Amino acid sequence: MPIKVPWLKGVFPALVTPFVRKTEDVDEEAYRTLIRYALPNVDGLVTSGTTGEFPYLTREEQRRLVEIGVEEAGGKPVVAGCGASSTQEALTLARDAKDAGASAALIVTPYFLHPSDKGVYQHFYDIATAVDLPIILYNIPQVMDSYLPRTVVEDLADLPNVIGLKDSSGDLTYTMELLEYAGDRIDIFVGHDEVVLPALAGGVSGFILASAQVYPEVWQEVIRLAGEGQLEEARALQRSVQKLSRIFCRYGGGVAVKAALKLMGLDMGPPRKPLKAVGGALIHETRAEIRLELEKLGKIQVEEPDFEYPSAPLASRFGDLEITPEHIAAHALHTGTGTAGEGLNKVQIDLIAGGKDTVLGDTYALQLTYPLHRREALTAILEPGLTVRPSTLLLPTLPQKNLRQANMIYGPTQAALAQAIVDALEEGRVPDAAVDAYVMIALATLHPRALDRHALFHSVRAAAADALAQAFSQ
Amino acid sequence: MGYKTDWFKGIFPALVTPFTADDKVDEAGYRALIRYVLPHVNGVVPCGTTGEFSYLTLEERKQVTQICLDEVAGRVPVVVGTGCKSTRETLKLTEWAKDAGASGALVVAPYFLKPTFNEVYDHFRAVDQVGLPIVLYNIPQCAGTHFRWWTGEAMSLDFDNVIGIKDSSGDLPFMEAMFEKVKGKVAIFVGHDEVVQAALGAGADGAILASANVIPDVWQRVYQATLEGDLETAQYWQQRVQKLVRIIVRCGSTQAVKEGLRMMGLPIGDSRHPVMPGGAFRREDRDELRLQLELPDIDKIKKATVTYDLGHRQVETEVCATPQTPRTISGFTMKVGEGFAGPPFHELAHVDLLLGLKNGPVGRAMERAMAERGEKRGLKIINERPRTLLVPTVTVRTAKQRRLFYEHAAQGVNLAIRLSVEDGFLPEAILDDVVLIVNAFVHPAASIAKRVDFNNYKATRYAIRKALEGRPVVEELINEKAAARHPFRYAP
Repeated sequence: MPIKVPWLKGVFPALVTPFVRKTEDVDEEAYRTLIRYALPNVDGLVTSGTTGEFPYLTREEQRRLVEIGVEEAGGKPVVAGCGASSTQEALTLARDAKDAGASAALIVTPYFLHPSDKGVYQHFYDIATAVDLPIILYNIPQVMDSYLPRTVVEDLADLPNVIGLKDSSGDLTYTMELLEYAGDRIDIFVGHDEVVLPALAGGVSGFILASAQVYPEVWQEVIRLAGEGQLEEARALQRSVQKLSRIFCRYGGGVAVKAALKLMGLDMGPPRKPLKAVGGALIHETRAEIRLELEKLGKIQVEEPDFEYPSAPLASRFGDLEITPEHIAAHALHTGTGTAGEGLNKVQIDLIAGGKDTVLGDTYALQLTYPLHRREALTAILEPGLTVRPSTLLLPTLPQKNLRQANMIYGPTQAALAQAIVDALEEGRVPDAAVDAYVMIALATLHPRALDRHALFHSVRAAAADALAQAFSQ
Repeated sequence: MGYKTDWFKGIFPALVTPFTADDKVDEAGYRALIRYVLPHVNGVVPCGTTGEFSYLTLEERKQVTQICLDEVAGRVPVVVGTGCKSTRETLKLTEWAKDAGASGALVVAPYFLKPTFNEVYDHFRAVDQVGLPIVLYNIPQCAGTHFRWWTGEAMSLDFDNVIGIKDSSGDLPFMEAMFEKVKGKVAIFVGHDEVVQAALGAGADGAILASANVIPDVWQRVYQATLEGDLETAQYWQQRVQKLVRIIVRCGSTQAVKEGLRMMGLPIGDSRHPVMPGGAFRREDRDELRLQLELPDIDKIKKATVTYDLGHRQVETEVCATPQTPRTISGFTMKVGEGFAGPPFHELAHVDLLLGLKNGPVGRAMERAMAERGEKRGLKIINERPRTLLVPTVTVRTAKQRRLFYEHAAQGVNLAIRLSVEDGFLPEAILDDVVLIVNAFVHPAASIAKRVDFNNYKATRYAIRKALEGRPVVEELINEKAAARHPFRYAP
């Protein structure tokens, strides 16, 4: 049971702050929409936290977010982020929060200039004694570059209105130390989405999470299962959101949360500059990955694609490259095919090899110059700087509809094809003269919803090995 | 009280340890290396960090030291790396070095298990009893412990045989504190190649350097200029080799030095595993190191005549050739080269380059693509001699992407071509016979124009050489297949 206030337990979303495109004004309607989406599955709200881009908000804006939060929360507690670099500013924000009806203030370790332990203690002491509002301490070394010292927490926990601490470090050794020295006087919350279950097992009271506005119901279920001792089920559920939680924690924070919400139809607008909606901490490739994970969670609809693995006679599968069975015969080109893997990880590789001075040389140059639409060719590399010999291009058979599909081609498929080719070189299957004189083109057919990179890598390597063996046995 | 010795000053290379193909100490290679550096240096250090002491057996450390002592034959001081993890081992090896005739011992702070500073102090106190002149060695990047000035001061003053301290941290405030405390009593050596001139100018007595295997003459110039009070000359040479030594210090040190020496024609093998080619010393670093070694006033890679066999005629060209450069290059039907350069991530460049005869597949692809697609579809001829087509790997969508690609990436590619014409890899006599297709990747989120420009320059310059020299070779691919790390193979 919570120690100093009855409500400090469970799951609280660290709400993003929605902004209007171009003007960057706070979008109040979007904020209300977001709260309404999350509210049924949460125990309270957190406004203007780190995920809410608090350092970019004015005093008035932060106060307004608390007011809206209180209006929408239906009686659930609203915790107001009141972080600031100076004690005076943090105190002002905490007073505003109280006036606006907040249940508590979440106050981060003072940042930028790094005060001593004495200064850190005094910061929280001044606020806690000057304002009649419960205080939650906040440790987030990822952005502060320093931890809230445990010895300071140990002493602050004696103050009557210091009710809890949010630890976003994800460092369970630190969390355990807090539980050991202050867990009898304040509630320890964890703010790191990747370690919810382990922290719960360690004894924390609750969570303030970025992902709790995307999948709060998952966290409620994890808590319920863990409480009932159903650890296997709780672990499986934690793992089902592990990647997405990792992306939110490490690859974009609030920006990534906004990207996820937008994919789900909850448009919270861009972050404030200098952050970028995509292309900064959150890169395009990772955004594609977020979509995939949301599909897996059932948060967005999956398109069921219509496709087939090529089944025409092998010599007829290179028509898109303007290579006909007659060319293959006339220029003594080598062809081979291979298939490996099951279900979504099934892969087919159709390979053609031949002299640079044949029609294949022209095709090779053309594909790097004048590629097929959405089927852009890539050079087979073990890694950047290690292009295979003979020089080989990889083309997807199916037009790539999105970045996720492209990711599967130019990540695991490209690497696995290169590995298979070097395997063949090592085994002596490729004639020495071919190393310089030949080029190869591999057509790869992947399931459009393929997503397991590790399995794909092995499927492609096996399929390509068969294709190479067949091509060079002729 | 003055210095405890008068001989510990100037430029000392931290000699690499050459290995044969079957991973034995390569005595002939080592002697050749010592003969190369000796005219330019004030002393040598066998079995230092750059000498891979931590990968040598005790017997090998003795063997390497003996070869070094024998080859040097008293002409300059030999300061032997004798540091080990435990005091017991360190004492044994230091005693051995004393008997073998070493001038002094370079003793690294005990590492891996991180002893406290009173334990470090007692370690050096024990080593001091051996009676051989001792150089304290601070290299926190590897050892994991950083001397504080008060331990450095105490060990320098309390121990009779401590003649100097080598600081490889690059931490100039630490070095200044050492000057304040012990200057003039023990020699203070800098061991970080990026700050040599700064340290010498501030009062350091000498330098023990990885890069002094490669450019001992440059460092001797910096040292002499500093002694003569000619700071401008000293600064000039430091800045002239800044990029070269940054690559060595930060990108794999031993392997970088070894590949540098190999490109210079001093074949001394690779580092021992787990250090490997293409690891910390990335391939793009090797190509860049090569360019730095080719600078006219550095002049470490000599010119050679290479014949280009175009089929219908032959062209001779003079290029700075490594032992890997073929002296006759044919197969101009189509040559494929790849280049990669970064950082930063968003502005990294990845270039697929085709070089081939105008009337071959490359020329035909270029003309057909221009006829059927042309500039409206994103293709652009950016140079006429050799005729060069720039192709975007990723469809260019926004005005910003267009500017970065067609202005900045194009500028970088063109600079690479111009410099390749100047350095002989694209000789004037083939410019009307061959064409280039450069398929270049600019990330849609790229912002920093200068890096897009420069990374595309580097990637293209490397790709041109790789295409012509036929790199990577099959042997390289097979050696590195298992360990290759494709960056996009894994989920975030």
